Amino acid sequence: MNLTLIMTKVFLKIFSRDRQAIVFSLIFPLLMMLAFGFFNSGETDPIAIGVVDNANSSLSRDFIASIDANPLFTVTEGDETSLIVQVINGNLGLTLVVPKEFQGNPANIDLRVLIDTSQTAQMNTVVPLLEQALVQVERDLRNLEPLFDLAIVDVEARTQTYLDFLVPGLLAMALMQIAMGGSGFNLVEFRRKGILKRLFVTPVQPKNFITGLVLSRLVIVMIQLSLLLGIAILLLDITFIGNIFNLYVFIILGTTIFLSLGFCLGSLAKTQQAIMAMNMLLTWPQMLLSGIFYPIDAMPSVVQPMANLLPLSFVVNGLRGVAIEGANIITLFPNIIGILVWIVIALGFAIKLFNWKEVAT
Amino acid sequence: MSIVKTENLHKKYPEPGKKNEFFYAVNGTSLSIEAGEIYGILGPNGAGKTTTLEMMEGLTDIDEGDAWIDGISVKQAPYKVKKIIGVQLQANEYFDHLNLSELIALFSQLYKRHDDPLDLLDHVNLKEKARTKPKELSGGQQQRFSIACALVHEPKVLFLDEPTTGLDPQAKRNIWELVKNLNNKGMTIVLTTHNMEEAEYLCNRLAIMDHGKIIAEGAPQELILSHAPEPPQAPLYGNLEDVFLALTGTGLRE
Repeated sequence: MNLTLIMTKVFLKIFSRDRQAIVFSLIFPLLMMLAFGFFNSGETDPIAIGVVDNANSSLSRDFIASIDANPLFTVTEGDETSLIVQVINGNLGLTLVVPKEFQGNPANIDLRVLIDTSQTAQMNTVVPLLEQALVQVERDLRNLEPLFDLAIVDVEARTQTYLDFLVPGLLAMALMQIAMGGSGFNLVEFRRKGILKRLFVTPVQPKNFITGLVLSRLVIVMIQLSLLLGIAILLLDITFIGNIFNLYVFIILGTTIFLSLGFCLGSLAKTQQAIMAMNMLLTWPQMLLSGIFYPIDAMPSVVQPMANLLPLSFVVNGLRGVAIEGANIITLFPNIIGILVWIVIALGFAIKLFNWKEVAT
Repeated sequence: MSIVKTENLHKKYPEPGKKNEFFYAVNGTSLSIEAGEIYGILGPNGAGKTTTLEMMEGLTDIDEGDAWIDGISVKQAPYKVKKIIGVQLQANEYFDHLNLSELIALFSQLYKRHDDPLDLLDHVNLKEKARTKPKELSGGQQQRFSIACALVHEPKVLFLDEPTTGLDPQAKRNIWELVKNLNNKGMTIVLTTHNMEEAEYLCNRLAIMDHGKIIAEGAPQELILSHAPEPPQAPLYGNLEDVFLALTGTGLRE
C-alpha cells in the first residue's frame, strides 16, 4: 500500500478514536442551530397588556375578549393603580383604560393608553398593532366589511427563515474551527512528542505525511458537517434547495484553506498555548465579519470591502448560495476564485513555513 | 567491508545567544564500523554523540563530509538508507489512541511488510501487553517497545541512542541481553551511552567523543590498557550494584 494511504488510514483511526474531540467540536455549532431553531421559529412573542374595564358592559367585555383572542396580545385585567405599577416595572407593555362610556352604541370615545416611554422602545411597533386591533374590533362590532386588505406574496415563492440563512453560516464556521484547530494542533503535538522525528527515520516522506494528514482531516470534517447538515434538515426543517454536490465542492475547498492555515500556525507555534492564541486571532474576526449571523451588507460600509475578502466570507457565501438560492459552482464562480486564491496563499505559506527537518528536531 | 562509514562529518549550529556565531557540534568525525559489530559512542553530555548518530540516520543535515550505510551515501540517497536502518530515539512517545500491536503494524506497513505484530512483541517480552498503550508501560518496557519498533523490517544496522538511560538495573540488564541476542543473529548495532559498564559489557569497539571529535577509539580492553591508570588495588568485593542485584534479584520488575 502507498505510504500516503497508510498515513491517511492511521490518522483516520487516531482521529476517529478521539471521540471527545469529535463530539465537542460539534456541540457549539449544534447548540447555536438548536437555539435559533427552537426559540426563534419566526413567530413574534405576544405582548402583555393590561386592561382596565371601567364600563363593565357587554360591549366592553366583547371588546376585551376580542383583544384577548388576538395572538399578538395576552391580556391582564385589573384596576388602574395596580396595572400602572406593572407597566412601570416592565411586566406589561402598556395598559389600556376602557372608559365608563364604552357601552350601548358608543361614538368618539377615547381609550387611554398608559405607557412608560423610558421602557418601551418597541412602542412604535406596538401602538399601530393596537390600533389595527381596534379597527378590527370596530369592524366586527359594526359588522363592516374591510375596504382593503393586504395580500402578501413572496416573490421568491418559497418561505425562508432566519434559520435558513444562519445554518449555512454555522456550517462554514464549524468547518473553519474544526479544520484550523485540527491540523495545527496535531503538528505541534507530533513535533513535541518526537513523533515527527521518529517517522522521519522510516521511509515516510514529508509529502506522504502532509497529504495523509490533509486527506484524513478532510474526511473527518466532511462527516462532521454532514451530521450537522443532517440534523439541521431533519430536526429543524430548514429549507435546502441546492445541489448537494455543489455544497461539498465548497466544503472541500473551504476545508483545504483552513487546513493549510492551520499548518502555517502549527509550523510557527512552539507550544499548544501559542497555537491557541494564534488560532483565536485568525478565527474570531472571521466569525464576526464573515456574514455568519447577519449579512455583510448590514455592516458599517468601512469594514465591508475587507469583510468581503476574508476566506470565511467566500465559504459562507458559497454554502449559503447553494443551500438557500440553489446556486451552483458556475453562478458562484467569484467565490470559487476567492477560495482558490486563499488556498494558494495559505498553502504557499504552509509549505514555506513547514520545514520538515526543523520540525523533526 | 565496513557497513557503516563516516568521513569528516561536520555539523555546525548557531552559538546560543550570539548572532552570526557558530559552533561545531560535530567537528570532523570519521569512523568505520564492521558488519556484525556492536559499536559504542561514549562521551559526556553535549559531546556530539546524538548529532553524529542523527547524521548517519539522515535525520540531521550533514554540513560537511558524508556517511555511508552498506555503501549507500546518506547525503545522496537518504530514503534508500532509511529502508535498511532501524532507529531507537531518546524520545519515545507515539500516537495517542494506538496500542502496541497497532503501532508495530503501522511501522511494518511503512516498510511494506505484513508480519504478525505479536511475533515481534513476543520477541521483546511484550506479547501480553499487545493491547496496551505505550504510555501505560514501565520505563524498561517502553524502551523494549521502542527497540521492537526499530526491528520491524529486520534492519541491517540498528542505531540505539542511550537505550538504558533512566532504567533500573534489572531493566538495563534485560536490554543488554536483547541487544546481545540481536547481535548474535548478525545485526550490526551502533549505540551511544554514558554508562561505562554498558560500553564495556556490550561493545566490540568504542569511540570516545568530546567537543565534537573522536578522541580515542578501540576495543574496550585496548582502551583500558592504553589509557586507564593502574588501579590502586584490585577491588576485593563487587560494587554497590552487585549488592543491589543480589538483594533484589535479576528478575524484571514491571
